[in-house]
Amino acid sequence: MSITLSAVNLKKNYNDVAAVRGINLEIKQGECFGILGPNGAGKSTLLKMIYGQAIPTSGDLFVLGLNTRDQMTEIKARIGVVPQDDGLDTDFSALENLKLFATYFNMEKNSAEARAEHLLHEMKLADHQHMHVEALSGGMKRRLVIARSLLHEPQMLILDEPTTGLDPQARLWIWNYFEKLKVQKKTIIITTHYMEEAEKLCDRIAIVDQGVVLDVGTGPELIKKYIGTEVIELEVEDQKNYWTSKIKNLDIEFQEFESKLFVFFASIDQRQNFLQHIQNAHYLIRAANLNDVFLKVAGYQIRGEA
Amino acid sequence: MIQVWLRNFLFFKKTFLVSLFWTVFEPLMYLAAFGFGFGRYVPPIEGLPFIDFYFPGLLCSTAMMVCYFESTYPNYTKLTHQKTFQTMLLTPLSAQQILLGEIFWSATKGMIGALGVMLVSIMFGLFSLKFIFILPVLFLISLIFAAFGLMVVSIAKNYDSFVFSTSGFIIPLSLISGTYFSLKDMPQLIQWLAYAFPLSHGVQLVRHILHGQTDIVFDGIHLLVLICYATGLIFFANKLFQRKMIN
Repeated sequence: MSITLSAVNLKKNYNDVAAVRGINLEIKQGECFGILGPNGAGKSTLLKMIYGQAIPTSGDLFVLGLNTRDQMTEIKARIGVVPQDDGLDTDFSALENLKLFATYFNMEKNSAEARAEHLLHEMKLADHQHMHVEALSGGMKRRLVIARSLLHEPQMLILDEPTTGLDPQARLWIWNYFEKLKVQKKTIIITTHYMEEAEKLCDRIAIVDQGVVLDVGTGPELIKKYIGTEVIELEVEDQKNYWTSKIKNLDIEFQEFESKLFVFFASIDQRQNFLQHIQNAHYLIRAANLNDVFLKVAGYQIRGEA
Repeated sequence: MIQVWLRNFLFFKKTFLVSLFWTVFEPLMYLAAFGFGFGRYVPPIEGLPFIDFYFPGLLCSTAMMVCYFESTYPNYTKLTHQKTFQTMLLTPLSAQQILLGEIFWSATKGMIGALGVMLVSIMFGLFSLKFIFILPVLFLISLIFAAFGLMVVSIAKNYDSFVFSTSGFIIPLSLISGTYFSLKDMPQLIQWLAYAFPLSHGVQLVRHILHGQTDIVFDGIHLLVLICYATGLIFFANKLFQRKMIN
């Protein structure tokens, strides 16, 4: 399978502050690739370098076989971007927004109009196409931005937190739509804070923090590698020391968080064994998920926004 | 570049009538108050009745004001709140094409403002076929102040930044550039100050063309200064805008 994006020792400094400090990545054609990381991890800087609004300090970045250093115009003609800020033109209606955007791509007028109307219909915006974008709901605006990103039939899509701030129905609808795009074998790069979104959509996931890629793998691979199969959330309250020494003795992996312990199990048998030791404590058994991986790798603490 | 210009034109079309009203009404007020009203108490300047002396100044300062305001506030909103420029950059458009599109659009608005003045001039018997020859001069002035406006947009911290450039630069310039009074009678220092900036050169050039006083050397210099200012400011605006958009 051919490589759609490759980053080689990619670095980016802003006034001597390193935002990206040596990223190596390869994204295959037709793959849905997730980039996870806490705020300030360098996700947005990485995406900005891909779509040409940040220039790498050093290293190489190739998109669709083209060099971001000197072929950005060609790259931009072939990728679609859903940025974090909608950036819709508030002086115009939904349909006008798409038509204007098409002119920036030098699309032929009639085919642009047909494509815009098709996408508005597909995004369930046909009834609202003449409304000013300011009057659209958050979900509608996002759908319009997704329509905008697809207008010129890009080979690759870049989605920067595409469902942040949306209600569950809107999010579900958008996920379903992305699934359809995946069937069409479009290469998709997505950043998100919703682990469920990453698990659902992404073929492979990179966990990024402090400007480096900590690990790359499929969702199940990462879960198995870092957590195991199941997690027990144990409410320990003031008996934390008792419980931590006990679990350490059993040689089981765990994480402390406030008055809770998250205990990770490689197998169901191991979990079954452990349960025999629990008396007089509240606990919850659940399947290990990407959220656990993320918290374990990136840490449990709230950080100041970088 | 043309797409960026066209986007602004499409928006302008939506508010066409309101814009047009002010474009005509403002110079009408100025010509009536200063030229016709105030001017009656003023003796001729440089051998010209006050309204004839003042009219070239009004043409040039209107072109300057209209395109300066068009290039600053709306573009700062597009840069910060609407993220219009960031969206345009997602397409094959480059930062330079966006900048040039905006400069030419603002200059277009400056010309529309100047045309409004010309339209009103009919009512005061000032209309002349020589207007054809001053159009390039007015366009140069518009380019200069559109580029200046976009330079300020590229370095502005917030909307207050424009108060400095407006009250500290644009307004004083509209007053000292030989618009209301003759620079010939002014102290040397004021003359130097006025001729250090482009508006006075534009006003002199337009005045000389309209009143048939052109001098190949002096007016050649005026024209050259305007061309240099336009090229230089567009160059610097491009540098600053590029740095603002892509970093």
